[in-house]
Amino acid sequence: MQTRTLKLREALLGGVALGLMTASALAQANPEREAFFGETHVHTGWSFDAYIFGNTMTGPAEAYAYATGEPIRHPLGYTIKIDTPLDWMGVTDHSEYVGTVRLANDPSSPISKLPIAEKLKVRTKADIQRVYLWLGTSMIDNKPVKELLVPEIAGTVWKENNAIADRYNKPGTFTAFCAYEWTSTPNNRNMHRNVFFKDCAKVPPMPFSSIDSTNPEDLWAWMDGQRKARNELLAISHNANLSDGHMFPTEVDEKGRPIDAAWAESRLRNERLSEIKQIKGQSETHPFLFPNDEFANFEVLTYLLGDPAGRIPHIPGSYIRQAYKDGLSMQGARGYNPYKFGLVGGSDSHNTGVPYRQDNFFGGHAKNDGTAQVRLGNVFAGLDTKFENPAGLTGIWAEENTRASLFEAMQRKETFATSGPRIKLRFFGGYDLASDMQRDRDWVKAAYARAVPMGGDLPPITAGRPTFAVWAVKDPTSGNLDRVQIVKGWSKNGQSFEKVFDVIWSGERTVSEVDGQLPPVGNTVDVAAIEPRPQGTSVEARVERIAEDVRTRGDERAPAGSVGEGMNLGYRNSIGAVELKTVWTDPEFEPGVDAFYYARVLEIPTPRWTTIQARQLGQQPPANVAATLQERAWSSPIWYTPSAEVRKSASQGQTVTDLVQRGAKALTDDEIKALIVSKTLNVRNTVTGQTFTIIYAASGRRLITGIDGVAPEPGEIGDVLHSGEIGAPAGYEIKGGKIITTLMNSPYEVAVYQLGNKYYGARSNEFGFANYEMDVSPTTP
Amino acid sequence: MMEAAKEQIPPRWTRRWLRDPLFHFMLAGVALFGFYRVLNPSADAPKEGRIVLTQDDLRPMTVAWMAQGRPAPAPEQVASLVEAKVREEILYREALALGLDRDDTIVKRRLAQKMDFLAEDAAALREPTRQELETWFREHSDSFASTPRVSFTHVYFSADRHGEGTREVAAKALETMPARSRQSTAGLGDPFMFQDFYGDRSPTQLAGVFGPAFAKALFEVKPGTWQGPIASGYGWHLVFVGAMTPSRVPAFEEVEGEVRAEWTAEQRARSKQTAFETMRARYTVILPDDGEAKP
Repeated sequence: MQTRTLKLREALLGGVALGLMTASALAQANPEREAFFGETHVHTGWSFDAYIFGNTMTGPAEAYAYATGEPIRHPLGYTIKIDTPLDWMGVTDHSEYVGTVRLANDPSSPISKLPIAEKLKVRTKADIQRVYLWLGTSMIDNKPVKELLVPEIAGTVWKENNAIADRYNKPGTFTAFCAYEWTSTPNNRNMHRNVFFKDCAKVPPMPFSSIDSTNPEDLWAWMDGQRKARNELLAISHNANLSDGHMFPTEVDEKGRPIDAAWAESRLRNERLSEIKQIKGQSETHPFLFPNDEFANFEVLTYLLGDPAGRIPHIPGSYIRQAYKDGLSMQGARGYNPYKFGLVGGSDSHNTGVPYRQDNFFGGHAKNDGTAQVRLGNVFAGLDTKFENPAGLTGIWAEENTRASLFEAMQRKETFATSGPRIKLRFFGGYDLASDMQRDRDWVKAAYARAVPMGGDLPPITAGRPTFAVWAVKDPTSGNLDRVQIVKGWSKNGQSFEKVFDVIWSGERTVSEVDGQLPPVGNTVDVAAIEPRPQGTSVEARVERIAEDVRTRGDERAPAGSVGEGMNLGYRNSIGAVELKTVWTDPEFEPGVDAFYYARVLEIPTPRWTTIQARQLGQQPPANVAATLQERAWSSPIWYTPSAEVRKSASQGQTVTDLVQRGAKALTDDEIKALIVSKTLNVRNTVTGQTFTIIYAASGRRLITGIDGVAPEPGEIGDVLHSGEIGAPAGYEIKGGKIITTLMNSPYEVAVYQLGNKYYGARSNEFGFANYEMDVSPTTP
Repeated sequence: MMEAAKEQIPPRWTRRWLRDPLFHFMLAGVALFGFYRVLNPSADAPKEGRIVLTQDDLRPMTVAWMAQGRPAPAPEQVASLVEAKVREEILYREALALGLDRDDTIVKRRLAQKMDFLAEDAAALREPTRQELETWFREHSDSFASTPRVSFTHVYFSADRHGEGTREVAAKALETMPARSRQSTAGLGDPFMFQDFYGDRSPTQLAGVFGPAFAKALFEVKPGTWQGPIASGYGWHLVFVGAMTPSRVPAFEEVEGEVRAEWTAEQRARSKQTAFETMRARYTVILPDDGEAKP
């Protein structure tokens, strides 16, 4: 009854406030834009799986109540309250069977009287498993339960969902979006997209669900139709890390058709954003893909939904940075780039409420991870719950907190993602921005006038070099900042490269002359200092206690300049910075080469939730996950695309088509075998100029022993194009006229062409270029 | 002893029987049934009863059938639906007669829930008078109060620039602050990343910018003079609170609709509670631990 009263008040207050707020919101529209933090991905008891996990009491109304600061109940009954209320949210219940499990179990609903409802009734623990498997499998196998999809059921729930969003939407104060999740999981591959509508007044009677089609191409076609009917909407892909390499294809789409310009346009038009981090891991990059990124090993989760037996997930094609790079190569080789999307962070919580912080992590799957004891020792559908982590968060730079303003910002990709804390991050790109422009307090105004914000494209170059103004401020309740990095990717002749530049950092550190690296910021984490907190203590009580702490004892205890919210959590803000800003010029810019740039901000190390909660339970921190981590934020990229003229000025690579036109012939399996097996080859990469010495042993293994004659450095061979680990051979086979090398569980094929007495290699992931000169003469370089 | 034990071992077939779970089950069944008959001599299962189905009972069955996207049921399908319904009714009655509804959690919960709904429906019937609402509003005016608001100027002392000594620098600067003026602070403190002046903000809004501790401390500052230093997540601040609007209780007319809704919600809760308490009063609960009975 209590919650009902609260909700009612909330709704009524909202109505009263609406009139007042609209006027003030318009008055406050800020041309320099503000960062509005919000949630793009949350499930309530209306999602069939959430209900089965035990989230049976709360729906979208409670999700919005939680976002606006009201306490709600966790499915296990304890109170949860958000630390800092959000500015906006879209509840994204699964469109498939939305609300049906809840309605089948609600005796007052007519749906519970349908015979089919019997199969959905949850009475015992075994029922939970049964219903989940039944509905889940029906989706995975694409054999929908038609009885549950009649408009009487599905349409009613959708309408109610949208009515609730309207009720909580208070322009200027809190924005509630109409949204849902398209939950396509063909063959256990996560192809999920969250769909956001600009205006609830125009949403269709029924959402397009994965039961209609599991192909994203069909979702986009439906979205195009909606747009034609003047219903603006966009899709946000998520958990590329769980997609088994299918989120970002380069050759064929989900229907098996070759990817072409029309496909790329359709994707660009509809998929404006991708979720880079959530409870089930981050999708930025994987340490295998780029070992030189010392911060890549962050919340990595390699897993397939449903944990199918005998399958190893594919890493290439599952990460955003790789997609950005492939996009550049596709632009260069084929004239289109389907992967110019922006970044968001989300939760994917199935608890209605969302934990954003290491110090309040209450899981995301109701009973399966609802208490510290369970979380620290559960394996749920094949997923070790210790690998879960708090929700990511999205920041949107918009003029005002309204559906229209926020949606337009999402459309233009002026968004950034964080791993949970409310780090603020600005990122502008232009040509020859003044290095001291940020001294002016109004620098943002100048930046908007002279540069493009995150998510944008640099204009065609006339003179100068690309410069980037970056600015980051810490979350006042979280760790200080360690550094800001700019991640650059570029592509030449179908090969793509990346480099992480440290552009500004805290303290007096200098880049080491020994290894060229910026030394680590340090680590103040002291596990013994973590205050034991009895389970179930509300977050509210904790916030209250910290505030009290600061008032009474803060003076002598507060570390450098900070309130010390972190003090009881086992770290001190005595290192790191509050604010980091700089203007950076790309020292390696080449006008003829496609490139992207995005900013990444790192906090100082703080304890991971597993460390905090193990300490609270009097246990040792688990060894299979990191004890500390560096929370972070990622900006959407800024892209540079050379004009056709400038592109011509860059060195033109040799393509397979060129070779064939000049009379080259492709070698057969036997010819390739004769050429390479039991030989040591020198293979020259004509893009980088490096020569690789490769032994192709008769055993079916191949080893790279040197690059330009010396033992390779980790960074050089770390590139997926080249090899695996130092000294570790990879398997190869010769089949179908190709040398097929398996790296990271994915096959890379090289076709060999002979022209005169010269041999050329063309790799399958280099978009039609033949970039390798193969020298079989038995000499060492 | 040994001898006696040996003699008591029954023949082999009996032993097998004794171990057979089916036998246990039957035995328990017979015992239960006998026990039940002794306790309830009159609760004979109805040997002949009447099941009456009206048109109103039959129509929903057809609708439910069609709701699954099927065409209207043919006569023999209707017959089989009716038969299913009849079967359900018979089994239901027989189950009741056997007392299978007792100690069944699902039945219990469902009935309890029905009682709950009943109490709520009864409460929803009455409309309050204006007089009643006004009186109720006066008693509950606190819950209609607006959130407090504050407008303030601040001077920021950056932890990035002053490190461990930030608070001291801020405290020293306070001594030099021009008294009772919020202008002419130029040159004092460090540039702040966001705004120097915040107008008309709630504690929640400020917590989002500065952290909850700062927001809390600020609302305790005396307006009209420079005060501090107050810590935020970024460093230390000297603050000049210009205007503070404490939470305000609106006039009844401004919130009448809201009051009505709140009143109704409370009446509902209360009448449910009263209904429950009336029932509760008729029961004594006996707990195992201290054996103390509560009324």
